[in-house]
Formats: sequence, structure tokens, C-alpha cells
Amino acid sequence: MAGLDALSNVALRPWPAPEKEALSKEDIFAQVGQLTSERKQYLREITEKSLLEDIAAGRDGIVESVEEDKKEEVLSQAEMVEKLGKARHDVYSKLEWASFAAGNALNLVSLILSRDLSKHPNRKESENLYTPMFQQMKVPRGSLGLVKEALAEQPDPSKIRPDDPKKGQLEYIQRRKALVMKGSRIEALDWATDTLLKAATDLESNIRKETRYWSEMLSISDKGWPVQRTWKGIKNAPYAVKFGPPEASNQFRSRGLAPLRMDDDGSIILDPALFLKPKTLRVRISEDDNIMGASQATIHGALDELAIEKSIQLARASLFEEELFYEMSIESRQLLSYGVELRDTVIHVPVPGEHSVPRKILIDCIAQDDSSLVTSDASQSPLAQSIAEGLRILLAHEHRMRLFRRTRLPPPMTQHKRQQPTPPLLRTLLAMLSHMNAVNSLHVYLGTIVSTLRSAGLEVALQATREMEWEKLTETIKKADTTKDFTATDQLLATFIRPFEGKATLSLSSSVGSPPENVIIGTRTYIGPPHFGTEHKLTLPPSLIKLLNLEHDPQRQLKLTSTEEVKTYLDWILSLDISQTLLFQEYHGRSAIKSSEPCIWVVSRGSKKGFIKEDYVEIAIENATMKVTARAQGQLATGVAVESFTWNGTSGRPSLKDKVRSWLG
Amino acid sequence: MHELLLYGQLPAPRHEQVLKILAGYAAMQPRRVLERHILYKPTREPEEPGAHLGRGGGSQTVGGKPVKQQGTVKSLFYTRLVQKLDEGDFGRADEQPADSKRLSADVGSGEEPTWSFEFQDMPDTGDRGVSVRLASSTDLLSGDPHAWMVAMGPHQFVSEYYVEGHRFVHGNVVVFLHRILHEPGVRSLETTPKVDPPEFAALKPFDPSGAYILEAKVRVQDYNNQTVLEEGVNELKSFQKQMKGCVELDIPDRLSLDTRVRYRPPHLRAAQAVR
Repeated sequence: MAGLDALSNVALRPWPAPEKEALSKEDIFAQVGQLTSERKQYLREITEKSLLEDIAAGRDGIVESVEEDKKEEVLSQAEMVEKLGKARHDVYSKLEWASFAAGNALNLVSLILSRDLSKHPNRKESENLYTPMFQQMKVPRGSLGLVKEALAEQPDPSKIRPDDPKKGQLEYIQRRKALVMKGSRIEALDWATDTLLKAATDLESNIRKETRYWSEMLSISDKGWPVQRTWKGIKNAPYAVKFGPPEASNQFRSRGLAPLRMDDDGSIILDPALFLKPKTLRVRISEDDNIMGASQATIHGALDELAIEKSIQLARASLFEEELFYEMSIESRQLLSYGVELRDTVIHVPVPGEHSVPRKILIDCIAQDDSSLVTSDASQSPLAQSIAEGLRILLAHEHRMRLFRRTRLPPPMTQHKRQQPTPPLLRTLLAMLSHMNAVNSLHVYLGTIVSTLRSAGLEVALQATREMEWEKLTETIKKADTTKDFTATDQLLATFIRPFEGKATLSLSSSVGSPPENVIIGTRTYIGPPHFGTEHKLTLPPSLIKLLNLEHDPQRQLKLTSTEEVKTYLDWILSLDISQTLLFQEYHGRSAIKSSEPCIWVVSRGSKKGFIKEDYVEIAIENATMKVTARAQGQLATGVAVESFTWNGTSGRPSLKDKVRSWLG
Repeated sequence: MHELLLYGQLPAPRHEQVLKILAGYAAMQPRRVLERHILYKPTREPEEPGAHLGRGGGSQTVGGKPVKQQGTVKSLFYTRLVQKLDEGDFGRADEQPADSKRLSADVGSGEEPTWSFEFQDMPDTGDRGVSVRLASSTDLLSGDPHAWMVAMGPHQFVSEYYVEGHRFVHGNVVVFLHRILHEPGVRSLETTPKVDPPEFAALKPFDPSGAYILEAKVRVQDYNNQTVLEEGVNELKSFQKQMKGCVELDIPDRLSLDTRVRYRPPHLRAAQAVR
């Protein structure tokens, strides 16, 4: 071969040795220095002989390449030839391998390129592109793969005799082979059909699931629930239904979105991972740590069992209840001074007012299927239920108010950020309870006083309203202006958010002519500045002002905080009025006021000139009874020194004036 | 207080679509707004520009302090009265004789005032990306607004026109999609505003193509407070970015919002008065 000829011309030569150069002076110094430092001997001890000996012994020292040359000469001629032959053989075989590999690469690339001749217009298909060995193999050009089967030994037909058992065997083998080929083909076809059928059924079931999913989705969106994509930018994000109220506070707004996922048969389930058991608000009333009543749960049923529409409503109700409880717990922090506490996720609200046992309202948010909703004593349950309903209405009202406030023209921006006030849920409840309590006790007192005074023959008139706005509720409903952004319901509810004001007017029995002089008692309640609770405001008429020697200021008002104070003050004021005004007028000319207590001195009948005897009449009103006492220095007209009489509201008693006249004469 | 403004325009056919888009953006129903604007001009004529510079010339007094020259001249501005209207206010003129009625700004208790007196300054120079101008609005609570304007000032009536549109509020940005209407043909004869607005159908758009104007406004209380001003500007700019592709909002031409009264040389003034 040509390659071998090339090989035979290769000559092997050792690496040329470097020329022995004369060392310059500096180089000698350098070399000497190096020598001594390496061998650690003084220069005079280093001789050529010692160096040669070192080389022969193979010690590591400075070896000049010249030495190598000499070493080579040491070997004998025959060994050299042998070595050369071996090396030559080595190189030859390596070269052959290299040429074989290159030929393989050439064949491979050419075969691949021959596959697609149109892509390489410059390339002409010729046999010279392949190595001769490849050309012998007669691989069809343009093929990608080749399987070489070992062909069965085809016996020479001339050699076979007709009844040779070998022939039958051969035919049998051939038949089997054909069968096997058919069989494997059939198996493959079978498998293909199976796969296709399975794919078809899968497709069918998928279509069914999708149809069901989309029809349910349409039903949800038709009912009015807003449906939107879970994430805005991503293409195939699942749809989600927004069931929370749009004006809820931030964290509840994000919880109000639930993705609609498909379950096994295509129907929609709200993603159960987002929320757990549905919650409900529970209001309990406890007297002295005994539960007296509880409110009912509003929603029934578990999440999974219901149809999708119901479960969305359930989710919305549960979210609403949770938000209600959350807002109330935040508000309770501001109301600590009123006794509202948050203990162990339960809000304790003490009911204001004097009761025999301390009453409290407990508010908490529990999972709905908690069976502790049923209590033994349900006497106060209607009250608890109404409280719960009222709180829910107030929260819905607050949502609408948020929308209203947000859509008004905003004030110009300042550096103070505008904060959203907490919704007045607990505040309204407290204000209501406190106001009702104050007004009721006041009215009870006034009622008894009026009956007592009337039984004593004195004329009093009383007008009382519990709360001025509540009296006009029906008119408010009629007058509600629906063109504004408020709905009528909101305007109605707004009256409950404002401060409450009640008014009672009591006319004085000593007033003559019209208009009668009135004591006006106004009751205002607001949780927050300026009242921080309930406050009674007494307006005194001018006659009393004169009596009390106060400055004459027509708007004379006294502010009293508790009903007890009002009661005692009214007692005193009325007794003062009766004694010092009424009786004074009765015995005009004979009587004198000498002290600021509710008593007068009346000059008695039995006094002669020069010796004035005075009788002392005193009026005391206490605990809804009125008692008049007369003391004389000598004797009263009835003959006794001290007389007293009490009225307590029962009718049929003689009047005050008659009685006093009978004593004084 | 100062207003930060951006304006955009859209043709009449797109009004419905943009209304819906804005309602979705602001998450509220559009609020219908109907207003009547009445323009007034101060009766005193503005001085010739440059006239103040030559005044108060060199004083010959010895030892006296030189007279301080007037550095600036106060400009005169067009001001306006704005009356809020309802649908029912239009077309009531034929109920009662027009002479006996006067405009009234009286407000009942609990109602909001309908008349207000507005003043807008010229927009500031400088480029913040939005237009900034000083504006002030005062509510009138009783009396006859026109008589008050004529007496105090003194002002004279120039013209009146009507604005109808919808208002949206999103955060601090007030978006007002509106167009201007007027009663064609009667303008030059008026010396006092009409007591009752005419029929709504008789009003024609001022712009014959019926295009709507979109105004985005942020009101800032204190101009000198940089942080607050920056916040306002940023809010307005983010609204502009949100509206990209829907309505293009831009800074209006500064001189077209100029409310100052122009100086007219005397010979033209006489011609004007005669006409």
C-alpha cells in the first residue's frame, strides 16, 4: 500500500543536542554559583571526574544533554536495531489505526451528506468519496441505518436430495420464521390500536369534564358573581370567583377571591385550601358567669356537600362574620376605658347600668358546626339574636358608607394622611345600652315623682322622649331623600351612629300662669368626645335660679353624669320649689325664708304683737315619697307640736295645701 | 390650594366605552355633573404693559429716600361663578315671568351650596410632567350672586356656558369627563345671566364635533410642601400611565389656560365699546 511505502521512508533520529556553546564570563560565574549551591561543595572539590562518577551512579545532579548522547552510545548495536524495529512497528500500527479512524469518519460524513443531496449542490456524488473498504460493503447511499442480519445458510439446492429430512426441517424453520414476523407485526398493530382507543376515551372524558366545568362556570357568572382570572398576566391561570364584599378592609378583600378548580368529574369545587371551616358570630349574654342566652347560627351545612352556588354564599357569609369579629376586636382596644375587654378571643362587654347581678355580653367567632351553640338556659336568646343581627346590619352599612366616602370629592392633599376610622359597631351597641339604661331609670323616677306629687294635689306635667330621633323614625323614612347617594336604609342607620339625645320636661308645681316653668332634663349619649358616655343636662327655669341665687343666665345648665345624681338633685330642687315658692306664695306675708333648706317659717296664728311665734314647715322628698313636717314653737292648730304627713303616690290622700292649712290655721 | 392637571380628548363615539373603562378603574358608578359657568371680567381696564416702569421717576428731594418703584403690576383676571344644576332645573323658564325672579344662592339647612365663586390663576412654568396652577373656590351661601359680582369688584358679565359630564374619584385623583354646551345665537346680547336655564335639548355642544374632554385633577393644599406635591404629581402620573392606550393625557398649553385680562390700546377699546 502507499501508506506503508511512506512509512518505510521514515528515519528515526534522536533529538538534536544543543550546540555546546562557550560560556561567557558572566555565565561561568553563574554556572559556578549554581553548581556550588546545588552540590553544597566547594568549587575545588568539584572535578570532571567526580561529576562523571555521579552520572554513572545515577545521582541527581546537573545533567547536561550531552551526557544523554553518550548514554545512548553505551547500548550495543543489536539492541539498538531491535529497539528501532519495535518503535517502527509501533508507529506503523498507530498510523494504520489513525488512517482507519479517519476513513470511518469520512465514510460516516459522506453517507450522512449523501442523504440529502439537494442541500449540498456543490457536492457530486461519486464513489471516490468513500474509502475502498466501504465501497466494497455496498451500503445504499442515503440510508440512515442498517441492520445486518445473519442470513441463514442457504444450502446449495443441487446438493439436496428430495427426501432429505433436512429439507423438511428447513421448510419448517422457514415457515416459523414467516409466522414470527407476522406475529410481531400483528402485535405491534394491536398495541397501536390499543393506544389509540385509550387516547380516544381520554379525550372524550376530558371533553365531558370541560363541558361540565364551563357550564357550571357560566351558571355562577350568570347569577351575578364576578368571575376573574386569578393572576392578571399569566395566560392559563384558573378563574376565580370574587365573593367578598368589595369595600371590606384589605386582608379580607384578598381572602374574598377563591379559584375555581375542577375535580374528578368536572364539577367545580372552591379551592378548599383557602379556607377551613365556616365561621359564625355568636353573641351570648351572661349574668354572673351563667350563660343566659345565645344567638343562632345563620348558615347551615358543610362546605363540600353543597352545590357550588350555595358554597359560594356560605363562603361569603363566613368571611363576613370573620370580618365583623375582626373589626370589633380592633374597636374593643379603643374602648378599654368603658370596660370592654378582649380575653381569649372573646370580647367581653359589660352592660352599663346598675343591676343586681353584673351582666355581660360575650361575643366571639366560632366554627359553625360547634355544638356548644345550644345552651341550657335560653331566656335571653332573643336579645342576643337581635344584638347579633344589629351588628351585622351595622357592618353592611359601614361598607356602603365607605363607598360613599370614597366617591366624594377628596379634600386637597396635605401631609396628614387620612385614616379610615374604625366602624362604629361596639360603640353603637354600648351607646344604645347606656342610653336606654339612663333614660329608663330617669323616666321611672320621674313617673313615680309625678304620681307622688299629683297624689298630693299638686299640678305637674311631664313630657318625656327617650330619644328624639327615634320618635321621628317613620317621618325620616318618609322623607328620605333617595336622589342623594345614600339609600334610605343608610340614612336611617345614620341616625344610630349619631349621638343619642333624650329629653324630659317637668313643669313646676309652683308656676303660675302660662307658660309653666319647666325643668328640662336632656340626656345625651355618645361614646367618644365630648361626652364619653351618658350625660344629663338640667336646665333650670328662672324662678329656681332666683331661689338658688345663681347668676341670672337663662341658659343655666348643669351637667350631671349619673342618674343617681340627677335623682337626688331633682328631689332637692323640687322640695325647695314646693317649700320656698309654693308655700311661700300661699302664706304670702306670713312666711319667711331663712335658710337654703327646703323649709319656711310661717308666723303662727297664735302670735300676738310683740311676740312672734313662728312655725317651721319642712318638705323632704326622698325615694319617691314626699313628707311634710311642721314644727311649732308652741302648738300647731291641731294641738300638737310636731306634725308630719307623707305622700307616696297612692291616691285619695288630702292635698298638701289642705294639710298645711289644717296645721297652721 | 393648587391644582395639578392633565387633559385628554376623545371623540364622541368613544364616550360610552371610555365611561365604562373609567367606571371599572375607579370602582364606582359615574356621577352625573351639570354645571353652569358664568364668566366675569373686571370693569377696570388693565394698564398698558410697561406703563408702570416709567412711573414714579427720579425724585429731586434732597436727603429723602428715593421713592420705591412699583416692581410688579397686579394683573386682572377673569373669574367665574359656577352653579350646580340638576336635570330638573332646565326648562323652567316658562312657568313664571322672568322679570320677577332673581338668581338666588340661598341654601336650606343640610343642603349643599349650589353657587360658588371660582378663581384660577395661570399655570406655572416649569416642567414637572403635569400642569400646576393656583385655584380657589368659595361657596356662596345666600343672596343674588350676579348682583354681588357686579357690585363687588366691580365686574361685568361676559358670557355663560354649560358643562355636562361625569365625575369619578380614585384615591386623590378626580377624573372629569365632560363637554361644554352653549345656547347658540344669543351670546352677544346678554348682559346678565339667565335666571332659569333653557331647555336641555336647546343646548348645543360648543365644539361641533361633540368631542369630550377628560380632565384629571389632584388638589394639593400647600404648594411649598415638597413631599406632598411630589406625591400628588406621582399619583397623577400613574393615572396617566394607566390610561395609556385608552385616552392620551397631556399637559395643556400654558397660554391657552391664561385667565388674565388683555390690555387693549385705547383706540381699539373705543371701537369695542361702540360695537
